[in-house]
Amino acid sequence: MNWDWDKLSEQRQRNTGSKPPGVDEINSTIKKFRGSGLPGGKYIIIGIVVLWFLSGIYIVEPDEVGVVTRFGKYVSTTNPGPHYHLPVPIESVMKPQVTRIRRVEVGFRSFGSSRSFTQGQSRNVPEESLMLTGDENIVDVQFIVQYQIKDPVEYLFKVTNQNKTLQDAAEAAMREVIGKTKIELALTTGKLQIQTETRALLQKIVDSYELGVNVLAVQLQNVHPPAEVVDAFKDVASAREDKSRYINEAEAYRNDILPKARGQAAVILNKAEAYKETKVRVAEGEAKRFMAVYREYSKAKDITVKRLYLETMENILSDPDVTKVILSESASKRALPFLSLDGGSFPQNAINSKKGVK
Amino acid sequence: MSLLKKSSAPLAILLIVLVLGFVQSAFIVKQTEKAIVLQLGKPKAGPLGPGLHFKLPFVQNVIYFDSRLLEYDARPAEILTKDKKNMVVDNYSKWRITDPLQFYRTVTSIPRAQARLDDIIYAELRVALGGYTLIEIISSDRTAIMTEVTLKSNELVSAYGIEINDVRIKRTDLPPENARAIYGRMRAERERMAKQYRSQGSEASARITAQADKERAITLADANLKAEILRGEGDGIATKTYADSFGKAAGFYEFKKSLEAYEKGFKSNTRIILSQDNPFLKYMK
Repeated sequence: MNWDWDKLSEQRQRNTGSKPPGVDEINSTIKKFRGSGLPGGKYIIIGIVVLWFLSGIYIVEPDEVGVVTRFGKYVSTTNPGPHYHLPVPIESVMKPQVTRIRRVEVGFRSFGSSRSFTQGQSRNVPEESLMLTGDENIVDVQFIVQYQIKDPVEYLFKVTNQNKTLQDAAEAAMREVIGKTKIELALTTGKLQIQTETRALLQKIVDSYELGVNVLAVQLQNVHPPAEVVDAFKDVASAREDKSRYINEAEAYRNDILPKARGQAAVILNKAEAYKETKVRVAEGEAKRFMAVYREYSKAKDITVKRLYLETMENILSDPDVTKVILSESASKRALPFLSLDGGSFPQNAINSKKGVK
Repeated sequence: MSLLKKSSAPLAILLIVLVLGFVQSAFIVKQTEKAIVLQLGKPKAGPLGPGLHFKLPFVQNVIYFDSRLLEYDARPAEILTKDKKNMVVDNYSKWRITDPLQFYRTVTSIPRAQARLDDIIYAELRVALGGYTLIEIISSDRTAIMTEVTLKSNELVSAYGIEINDVRIKRTDLPPENARAIYGRMRAERERMAKQYRSQGSEASARITAQADKERAITLADANLKAEILRGEGDGIATKTYADSFGKAAGFYEFKKSLEAYEKGFKSNTRIILSQDNPFLKYMK
């Protein structure tokens, strides 16, 4: 409406002569207000009023609730869908997301996607994550807390710094629980219990603050020994491995030598069996053979003896490697004849078979 | 219209005065606040809750206070435990203004109130923690300590129109040198465990190996025993067989066996000296 302002004041100056400028201004303001300055001003004002009333329409999304305050005082909570509140200076609406799952990280901060926890995308916060255990050890704990708004009115109006409140309470609760746990348990099988206890304790604390949130879960992301001693802990793990390795090796040795020993035993036994059976059979054979010869012998004792004797002698003496020496009766009657053992020289009357004497 | 136009100036003035008066006398207290009204600096109306309120224009003014639960996060402080150990305690407290008038009279503003809280809570915490050993603070009596400090501090701060809802120990850390000592102990414990595992392994391994060796020795000895028995049996049966058959013809056996022995005994490299009157040579005479 500025474009005719100069014209208007000029006109008024001419009409009224000298008036104090303040009155003049007020005058024009009133005129303007009543729309006398412009044709259709009334409609504009009505339009503005209508728009002002229309500005009270609001839509609550499915994941929200509407919290309506009248002159700053809480009056009602509305469910998803379109609603109306009296326009702004009288009533206003806040729309917290009640279905959204919020999270707080303790001991680390992840950057990148907050959906997934990966070692590569996070930064440790050791002053938050190092905690004392119940047996005076130190353990490095990183966890997240997931929560939802349970009571939007409490959440909006009862506590300042809702997120920090939850973070601090979470840290305090976790430390309290870890402070009652032994390190061995915290590192191995106690994780589930730590989560459960911390969740319950944290819920209790935030309820006492009337924070209006529901702690859905406390999830341990990472529990490990502090960096300063992690190698010692790893060595224990490898010592456990070594232990079972030693045992396995011994078992392997055992499984190696015992079957071999049993095999050896079988060999020994079989050899012995074989010896026994052979011995028995040899004896039996010899006995049978002897008896067979004996049966024939008893039929003709004399001649058999002679035959056997001569056959034997023949066998012995026919061997070319056997040296035969025949002493005459006269030689044997004398003093002990000297026989050189190397076969070099013989007594005169000794007949050496090698000289062809038969 | 013309009538309106004539009286437009005073009307406008009246309107402006009315608006100004309304703005000056009406005020809104939010859901998160409490307010007190001061008349020329003196408290006039006690704590007002959220909503629309009115006051006299120009002579009265309004002071707002946060009615929510407020946080005071203290600096970490070093304290000494009952067993003379240093410890760094980081606590926070949750408090609220319960009596705004009293609060306004005594500390006036939140930062000043927090300075008070800091002094009081820190002092109480020192006293309380001094009565417990380190391990009690860490594990068993934490809740009790916090409750005690909350109660004691509350007695002292109620004069300021403040109520402490909760004093909570957020962190209990050890000074670096104590932490190092703990790390040293942890390391030693782990090394001991590692040694124990390894030596247990060696022990078990030695047991198993020795047991196996023993079993092997016994197995072989058993086998040898059985073997000797078998051999003996064999020898026994053979002896009996020989005796049974040869015994029937001892003379002939002696003769025959002698012959066999001669034949076997007088093999190569033997020098046989025969006398001329040997019966074998009787036809050579």
